[in-house]
Amino acid sequence: MEYLMLVCTDSEPEPGMTGPEGIEEWLAEGERRGIRKQGHRLRPPEDATTLRVRGGKLLITDGPFAETKEWIAGYDLLDCADLDEAIEYASRHPMAQAGRLELRPYWPNEF
Amino acid sequence: MEFLMFVCTDTEPDTDTTNPPDIEAWAEEGERRGIRKQGDQLVPKAEARTVRVRSGELLVTDGPFAETKEWIAGYDLLECKDLDEAVDYASRHPMARFGRIEVRAIQPWEG
Repeated sequence: MEYLMLVCTDSEPEPGMTGPEGIEEWLAEGERRGIRKQGHRLRPPEDATTLRVRGGKLLITDGPFAETKEWIAGYDLLDCADLDEAIEYASRHPMAQAGRLELRPYWPNEF
Repeated sequence: MEFLMFVCTDTEPDTDTTNPPDIEAWAEEGERRGIRKQGDQLVPKAEARTVRVRSGELLVTDGPFAETKEWIAGYDLLECKDLDEAVDYASRHPMARFGRIEVRAIQPWEG
């Protein structure tokens, strides 16, 4: 099963954990096990652009799609046997301690 | 430049029902122009799991990383020459009318 993993900040991190220290090991494990397909860090939320089209008009605002304390700092695409494996692998990402991770399964059918 | 596009819902979608947009035509255009590398629809937010590790303990909660009125329903990975091209292409995605779209540039680790 494929999952989008959103790598997010948290206002209450594990004390002493500030960022993705030790990410290399996590990446190497994902590659070795063939469960991490891709992933990237994103530009900070102040560089986000949100757009809507209403009544034929394009409306552009600065910032992410919703104002939240936590924000999305990156993402990974995982291909795991099931949710348990995805949670198990995600839990060893450094941002599981320094932030929080959201796992979202893909829609089963191609659109 | 690579961009991640978050396809989101909106509590106030477009009320203009003329010219219904076509997701297949949008995806085909991205392929033809070589600017849409990948993308998928996600299972609704009720299926999301948020993962944190604090003091060595794994904490898994139901739902997305933050409680927001709007939520992420899918994503696309774009390769565009600049933000303007990404916004222009994103603005023709059906969810630009029925929801909202966040466009965020990918940050290389070296950057």
